[in-house]
Amino acid sequence: MLRTDEILSTIQMLHAEHLDVRTVTLGLNVNDCAASSVDSVCRKLREKIIRRAGNLVRTCDRIGSKYGIPVTNKRLAISPAAHLLAGHGLGAALQIAHTLDDAVKECQIDLVGGFSALVQKGISASDAVVLESLPQVLSSTQRVCASINVASHRAGINMDAVRQMGDILLKIAAATAAQRGFGCAKLVIFSNIPEDNPFMAGAYHGEGEAEAAINIGVSGPGVVDSALRRRIQLGGPLTLGDLAEEIKITSFRVTRVGELIGREVAAELGIPFGIVDLSLAPTPQVGDSVGEILRTLGIEKVGAPGSTAAVAMLTDAVKKGGAFASSSVGGMSGAFIPVSEDAALADAAAKGHLTLEKLEAMTSVCSVGLDMIAIPGDTPAETIAAIIADEMAIGVMNNKTTGVRLIPVPGAKVGDFIEFGGLFGSATVMDIRNAGASAAFVRFGGRIPAPIQSLRN
Amino acid sequence: MADDRPGIVAAVSGVIVALGGNIDACSQTVLGGYFTQILVVSFPQTVAAQDLVARIQKGAPPGGALQVAACPYVAPAAPVGHVPTERFVITALGKDKPGVIHRFSQYLAGKDINVVDLYWDCAGEDFVLTAQVEIPKRWEIGMLKADLDEIGHEESFNVRIQHENIFVATNQLRLPGGHR
Repeated sequence: MLRTDEILSTIQMLHAEHLDVRTVTLGLNVNDCAASSVDSVCRKLREKIIRRAGNLVRTCDRIGSKYGIPVTNKRLAISPAAHLLAGHGLGAALQIAHTLDDAVKECQIDLVGGFSALVQKGISASDAVVLESLPQVLSSTQRVCASINVASHRAGINMDAVRQMGDILLKIAAATAAQRGFGCAKLVIFSNIPEDNPFMAGAYHGEGEAEAAINIGVSGPGVVDSALRRRIQLGGPLTLGDLAEEIKITSFRVTRVGELIGREVAAELGIPFGIVDLSLAPTPQVGDSVGEILRTLGIEKVGAPGSTAAVAMLTDAVKKGGAFASSSVGGMSGAFIPVSEDAALADAAAKGHLTLEKLEAMTSVCSVGLDMIAIPGDTPAETIAAIIADEMAIGVMNNKTTGVRLIPVPGAKVGDFIEFGGLFGSATVMDIRNAGASAAFVRFGGRIPAPIQSLRN
Repeated sequence: MADDRPGIVAAVSGVIVALGGNIDACSQTVLGGYFTQILVVSFPQTVAAQDLVARIQKGAPPGGALQVAACPYVAPAAPVGHVPTERFVITALGKDKPGVIHRFSQYLAGKDINVVDLYWDCAGEDFVLTAQVEIPKRWEIGMLKADLDEIGHEESFNVRIQHENIFVATNQLRLPGGHR
C-alpha cells in the first residue's frame, strides 16, 4: 500500500511544480528508403513515417492521461538524411526535407530531427549536399531540424567543416531574416554527437541503433529548484554536499517518471525502449529554469564566479540520481543552459552578468554547449567558426558531447532584445569580444588532430 | 480505541499472551490524537468474546478507558464474479465542507469501484482527499476522469486520477514491472 506522504509528494512534483515528460522521441532508421529516384525515396519515406509514427501522438496522450503527466512534445528522429542523399543533389535534399515536414505534420508530430551529416573527419558528396541545402531547408520547412557533427575525440576537429558552418549559419540567418534568423535555432553543430539524443534540434537516429527506438527526455528544473528551496527552508547546518544529495534524490524521481512512460509507450507501439535522457531541460516559463537553480544554490548573479562549480555539482548530482533510477540512461544527460529558453539565464545575459566566455566555461561541465545564443548579425563568418571551434575543442579534449546553436540575428546589434516565441523564448544579443581577430586561424582549415588519450591533465 | 498514550499495545498484547493466544494480523493508526487498532487473534482454546473484552479493559494503561469490541473471525468469502481491476489513486484538493467524501464515494460505489485506502486531512488552507481504488478494467479512465472533474467543479475541488504505478515509480526503489 502506498503511503499518503508518498502520494502527496508525487502530486506536488507533478502538478505544483509542473513536471512533465518533455519529449517522447521515436528514433527511426530510414536507410531502407534510399532509391535511385528521389520520388521513390520520398514515397518510401512518407509511407514508413506514417506506418511507424502514425500512432505516436495518440499513444503518448493516452498514456500521459493514465498517469496524469503531460507528454509535452512528440518527436521523430531519423537516421542521417545524408545517407538518403547519396547520388542525389540539392533538389533532392529539398524534396526530402519537405516530405519529412509534411509527413510529421500529418502525424501531428512536433519536430523531426536527423537532417544530419557526420563530417568529423571529412565531407562526402552527400554530406556536402546536406550542408549546401541547409539555408533553403531550414527556411522553407517548419518542423525539420538539422545537426552536423564536425568533431569527435577520435577524429579531432574538421576545421574545413567548422569554417563552412560559419558561412552556413549566416546564410540561414539571412534566409530567415524576417523571423530574426530563427532558422539557426533548428540547427546544432556537434562534437561527439549522441546517437540516441531525444532533444531537438540535435536528435538523430544513430547507426548503432536498432531499426526503431523510443527515447525519452524528462524535464525537471522546476522540481529540482523547489526541492532545494524546501531543503534550505528547513534550516539547520547545510553543506553543498547536502544540497547535491537533494538534487540526486529529485533526479531519481524525475527519471523514474520518464522511464515509466517511455517503457509503456514503447510496449504499446511494439518498439524497443531506448533511453531516458536525464538532462534538465528548461523552458522560458518562470520556475522552469536552470539559472534559477544556480540562484537557489547561492549564485546571486548567474555568471558570477562560482557558476561553473555550481553547474558541475548540479550536472553530476543529476547523473548520479538518474543512473540509479534507470538502467537505460543515454542521450546527453546533464543540464542544459540554452540562454533564450531559460528565463534566468536570459535575464543574466541581458544584465551583462553572463558573458559568452563564462557560458563557454560552464559548458565544459554541463551537457550541451553554447545553446540558443543571439549574436550580432554582422559577426564575421570566421569569428562564428572560431566560436564553434572553441566549443568543439572542449568536447573533443574532455571526451564529451558539446554543441553550438548560435543565432546571428540579421540587423541586430549588441543589447538588442530578440523575441523568438514559444519554447524558444527571448534573448538579448550578446557581445563577442575581439570579433574578427581569429580569422587567420580559421582560414588555415584542415583538421585539428585527435587528442592524445593518455597524459590527461 | 482510546486517547493515544504509551502502553496501549503492551496492555492489549499482554492479555492475548496470558491467554496463550497469537496475533495473526494487526493494523493500527492514530488520527486526531485518537488511537485505533484492529487485530486478528487466534487462541488454542475457546475464548468468550465478553471475557476477552473485559480482560483488555481491565488492563488498560493509566489515562482513560479503552473501547473494545471482539467478535469471532470468519475469513471473507471470495467475491462472486470477481472482475479484473487496476489500482489508481484519486486525489482531491479544496476547501472543507460537509458531504464531499460522500459525494465522491457515492460516485465510486455506483461504478463498482472499491476504495482500499482513504485519507482525508488538512493540507495548509485546503483539505486533501487521497483514495487508493480498484477500478474495473472495463471502465475507460478518460470517462471517469471527466465525471470526477465535473463533481470536483461542482464542489470546488481539484480532482485527479492517476495510475498507482506513477507513485510506486517515484517513491520506491523497484520500478513497477522491473527493468526489462
